[in-house]
Amino acid sequence: MRASGWRRLFFGMTLLGVLLKVVCAQASPGAAEAGFDWGEARQFWAFQPPVRKPLPATGNSSWAKQPIDHFILARMETAGLAPADEASRRTLIRRVTFGLTGLPPTPVEIDAFLADPDANAYEQFVDRLLASPQFGERLASLWLNVARYAEDQAHQVGSATQHFYPNAHLYRAWVIEAFNRDLPYDEFIRLQLAADAIEGPNSPNLPALGFLGLGHKYYSRGRLEVMADEWEDRVDTVTRGLLGLTVACARCHEHKYDPITMADYHALAGVFASTDMFNRPFDEAAYAKEKDKNKQPMLAMHVVKDGKVQDLPIFLRGDVEQKGEVVKRGFLEVLGKDGRREFQEGSGRRELAEAIVDQANPLTARVLVNRIWARVFGQSLVATPSNFGALGEKPTHPDMLDDLAARFMEGGWSIKALVRELVLSATYRQSSKNPRLSPETDPENRFYGRMARRRLDVEQFRDALLFVSGGLDQEGGRSLELNDPKNLRRTVYGRISRKELNSLMMQFDYPDANVHAAARASTTTPMQKLWMMNNPFVIERARRLSAELDDPSLAREANVRRAYRSLYGRPPTGEEEALAATFLAEEDDGPGLSRWTQYAQILLAANEFLYVD
Amino acid sequence: MTDLQLNEMPISRRGMLTRACGGFGMLGLAGMLGGGRSGSAAPVAPRPHFAPRAKRVIFLFMNGAPSHVDTFDPKPALEKYADKEPSEKLYRNRKGKFLPSPFKFSKHGQAGIEVCETLPNLAGVIDDCCVIRSMHTDVPNHEPGLLKMHTGNIQPIRPSIGSWALYGLGQENENLPGYVVLRPSPKIVVGPALWSNSFLPAKYQAASVVTKDMAVDKLLANIRNPHLDFAKQRKQLDLLQKLNRIHLDQREGDSELEAQIQAMETAYQMQMAAADTFDISKEPEHVREMYGTSAFANSCLLARRLVEDGVRFVSVYYTSDGSNQPWDTHSSHNQSHPKLCADSDKATGALIRDLKARGLLEDTLVIWGGEFGRTPYAQPNKKNPDKVGRDHHHTGFSMLLAGGGVKGGMVYGATDEVGMHATEKRMHVHDLHATILHLLGIDHEKLLYRWSGRDFRLTDIYGNVAHEIVA
Repeated sequence: MRASGWRRLFFGMTLLGVLLKVVCAQASPGAAEAGFDWGEARQFWAFQPPVRKPLPATGNSSWAKQPIDHFILARMETAGLAPADEASRRTLIRRVTFGLTGLPPTPVEIDAFLADPDANAYEQFVDRLLASPQFGERLASLWLNVARYAEDQAHQVGSATQHFYPNAHLYRAWVIEAFNRDLPYDEFIRLQLAADAIEGPNSPNLPALGFLGLGHKYYSRGRLEVMADEWEDRVDTVTRGLLGLTVACARCHEHKYDPITMADYHALAGVFASTDMFNRPFDEAAYAKEKDKNKQPMLAMHVVKDGKVQDLPIFLRGDVEQKGEVVKRGFLEVLGKDGRREFQEGSGRRELAEAIVDQANPLTARVLVNRIWARVFGQSLVATPSNFGALGEKPTHPDMLDDLAARFMEGGWSIKALVRELVLSATYRQSSKNPRLSPETDPENRFYGRMARRRLDVEQFRDALLFVSGGLDQEGGRSLELNDPKNLRRTVYGRISRKELNSLMMQFDYPDANVHAAARASTTTPMQKLWMMNNPFVIERARRLSAELDDPSLAREANVRRAYRSLYGRPPTGEEEALAATFLAEEDDGPGLSRWTQYAQILLAANEFLYVD
Repeated sequence: MTDLQLNEMPISRRGMLTRACGGFGMLGLAGMLGGGRSGSAAPVAPRPHFAPRAKRVIFLFMNGAPSHVDTFDPKPALEKYADKEPSEKLYRNRKGKFLPSPFKFSKHGQAGIEVCETLPNLAGVIDDCCVIRSMHTDVPNHEPGLLKMHTGNIQPIRPSIGSWALYGLGQENENLPGYVVLRPSPKIVVGPALWSNSFLPAKYQAASVVTKDMAVDKLLANIRNPHLDFAKQRKQLDLLQKLNRIHLDQREGDSELEAQIQAMETAYQMQMAAADTFDISKEPEHVREMYGTSAFANSCLLARRLVEDGVRFVSVYYTSDGSNQPWDTHSSHNQSHPKLCADSDKATGALIRDLKARGLLEDTLVIWGGEFGRTPYAQPNKKNPDKVGRDHHHTGFSMLLAGGGVKGGMVYGATDEVGMHATEKRMHVHDLHATILHLLGIDHEKLLYRWSGRDFRLTDIYGNVAHEIVA
C-alpha cells in the first residue's frame, strides 16, 4: 500500500474508532436543537450546486473527443501521465456491446464493424446499441439494486405469502421501458415516488410506484415499532439511492458527520408514515373473489397510496415509546435554501419528488452521473456511490463531475445522452494496456490512463453463456426461477428473492436484496469455479455449444476457428489451434462428455470469456 | 482502531493486489480467495484482538425453544404453586397453572450440577460445561427471537454471528467453506436470514447444507462433475489453464486474472478435500453408534469432522421433515419434550466427548440452546387436559456452553423461584454474543464493519462480556 493509502486508511480508522462510542454516548435526546451552523454546513462540496466548468487546457490538443476527455487528460498530464492508445476495433465492439446491452457481439456484427470504412462507424454502432431494447435491460440491472428490487420478504410466517410480490415484474418492465424511451431522469424519479399523485389513479405509469411498493413488510407489521422499521427502509432507499446521503443514520441520534438531524429523518419518515403499501387490484371484483389473506396477491399491482396523513414525533433514541417534538413532513434542512421545505399535499410524496429533482438540489444529478459513470467505466468518480457525505470519498475529478451533472440537468436529464458521451469519449476508447504506464504508477487507475479490464457481472455472464450456445430466450415478462433448467431467459428476468437469493446470483456478487446496494463487489472464489466445472447448467450449455460448433461437414480447424469467433470475437492463434487439435484428436473414452463438449466447456470457463478488456 | 475494520471505499482487487507490493505470491491463499471490494480485509491475515480461547464454534440450535425447567434449571418450588396461575401481566395472554417438571433432577459431576434425567449424556460431561441459567431476550415470538439470537437484531437486515466470526477470524482451511450451516430439513422458520452475511462481503457467507441425505454429492452443490472422473477433468483443466496462461501473458500478468487461475486450481483440490471432510461414512461404527442415527446426530458428527478440518463456524439446526421447529411444544409437552431431549442429548453428549478425546474441545466452543425458553406454567389444553403444553418464554431461560475456554462444571446466573425471570447475573442475547466473540479473541466493540455511512457491530451498542465464565 502506498504511503498516501496508509494515511487515508489511518485517518479514516482514527475517525471511525471514536464513532460508535461518541455516537452512543452523545446521542442527545434534545435532538431538535441541533448544533449545526447551516450556512457553514452548506459549504461542503456536495451541498454546493454543480455548475458548468470551462474545459481545462491540455498539452495534447488532438486526443479529446468529448468534453470529459479534456478533464481526464488535464489531470493525467498534471501527474505526468499519458493516455493509452485507442483499443482495437475488435476490443471496442466487444467492450461496448457488453457494456450497453449486456451481451457479446455476434461474429456477423464484428465482421461488419471491422469492414466498415465509415470514419463514424463506431458512433453509428453505438447509436444502434442505444436504440436496442437490450439497453434498458442492461441499465435496469443497475437500477434494480438501487431500488433493492425483490419479489418476496426475507421471512414469512408459516406458509403465509400474502406479503409477497408476484407481480413485481411490472415495476421491472416499467424501469426497462423507461430507460429504453429515455425518460428524463427527473421524470423517472417523480413517477417512482408519486405517479399516482401526478398522473392520477389511471396513469399508465403506476407500476413505477413499485420503487416504494416493493419494500419490506416486516413480521408483526402494524405495531408502531415495526412500522417505524419499515419507514426506515423507505427513508434509506430514497436517501442513499437518490441523494447519496445516509439519512437513516439519524433515526436514533443526530448524524455525527453530516448535517442531518433527527428532525430531518422524522420529517422524511412522516411522508412514508402517511403512505400505505397497497396491492392495487387489476380488477376489483376478481381480486375480491380471489383474495385470501394468506396467499400471494396474484391479481394486483404492488404499489403505494396515500394513507392517513400524519406528522411524526421524534422517536427519541429510536424508541417509539419516547415521543419528542412533532416534526412537519418535509425535506432535509441542509438542502433547503433557508430552513426546511415543508410538505402540504397528502403524504407529501409528490413534493418530496419535486424537492429531489429540483435543479437547485446539488446531489441528485451528481449521484446519478456517478452511478452511470461507474456502470460504463467499472470504477466510480466518487468511490462511495451512496454516500456523498463527510465520511464518503471525495470525487477524483470534481470539476468534471460537476460539469457532467450541470450539463445533464441542462440537457433535459437524458441518460442516453450521458451514456453516449461517455462511451464515445477517447477515455473510454483506450486500450486496457498502457505500456507508458507502469502498474505501480496508478494501480487503482484513478487517472484513467487505461481502460479497466472487467469481469462480467452475473447477468452478463449467464446471458452470454446462453447467447453463444444458441439458447438465449429474449422474452421478458413474469419472473422465472433462475435454478429452473428450462429458464433460458435473460438473467434480469429471473426471480429475485429476499428470503433466499439464488445461489448463482449470490456466488457471483449479486447484492442482498434486503437493502439498497451502493455498488457490487467483484470477487474471485473457488465456489464460482466449481459452478463452472460441474454445474449441470454449464455442462448443458457446453453440450449445446459443441452441437453448434462441431459441424461434421467442416474440418476440425474450421470449427475451432468458428468457436473463437463466436466466443471471443477473434480468430485463434497458431498455438491455440495446435492445443485444440491435440485435445480434440483424442478418442472419446467411454461414456460421459464428448471431447467437443469438454472443449466447449473449457472455452466457456476460460478467463477470456469472463473478462472484457 | 484495528485492522478488522473495513472501509466502505471500494478499493479494486487489482489495485489492492498491486499495492500490497510484489503481486500475488505474497498474499498467499487467503488473499487469493478473497473478495474484491473489501480491500483491507481480503489480504490481511486474520488477527484477533487478543489470544483466542476458541478457534471454532459449533452452535447446536434447538428450533422452537427447549424448556429450561425441564433441562438445566430445576424448580422444585413449582410443586408448591401447581394450582396457581402467574399473577403478573404477561406478554402473551395465555395463562395456565404452574407446571412442575415431571422429570427428576439429580446432581452430576464433581461440580454437582443438577441436570434433568432426560439428559443423561450431557449430565455425564457436565464438568466440561457451563450452564447459563439467566438468559433473556426481547420478544417471545419465534421470528424475532431467532433473528435476535442469530444477528442481534429483530429485523432480517443484519449479518449473522457466523459471518461476523468469519469476518473477524478469517478462514482456517481455504479448501473448505469457513462457515457451514447444517439442517436436516430444507424448511426452517425465518430461513436463510438466520445465516445471512447481509452487508458483509460474499466471502463471509455460509455454505448452507441440507443433511437429509448424507451422500456427499447430495450435501454439496457442484462438488463433483456428473460425467467426468478426476483424471479426465484434470486433462480438461490442464488445457484450460494453458489457454488462461496465454491470455494472461498478453495482459502483463494481471494479478486478478492470475487469481482466477489460482481459484480454478483450488476448486479442483476442493473437490477432493471437501468430499473427504463431508463424508461421515468414513467414521468407524463405534463412533457412529455413539452419536446415534438421527438426522441431528448425523449433523453433529459432520460438524465434528468440519471443525476438525478447520471450518470456523458450524451451525446445526434441530429440525425434521415433520416439523421445522420440533421443540415448540405447545401441547403434549411432557410427552414430546423427553423424546427430543433423548435424541439431542445423545448426539450432543457424544460430540462433546468426541471433541475432548481428540483434543479439540479446548479450542472449540460448543453452544446448545434455542431462541428462548418455555413457560414454567402450562399452556392449557381444553380438549385434553393431559396434553398441556408450555408456551414461549423470553424473560428467563438456559443455554449450555462447553469447551472453547469456558469454565467447566459451572452454573452462571439464576432465575427466580419458579423460573419466570432471570434474576442473578442476567445475560441478554447481546451479552452472550459479546462473550462468544470474546472467547474467539475478538473485542465485540471493535469488530466493526462500515456500511451505509456508519459502523455496525454484532452487538449494536450493547453487550457485556461475562468474564466470570472464561476459564
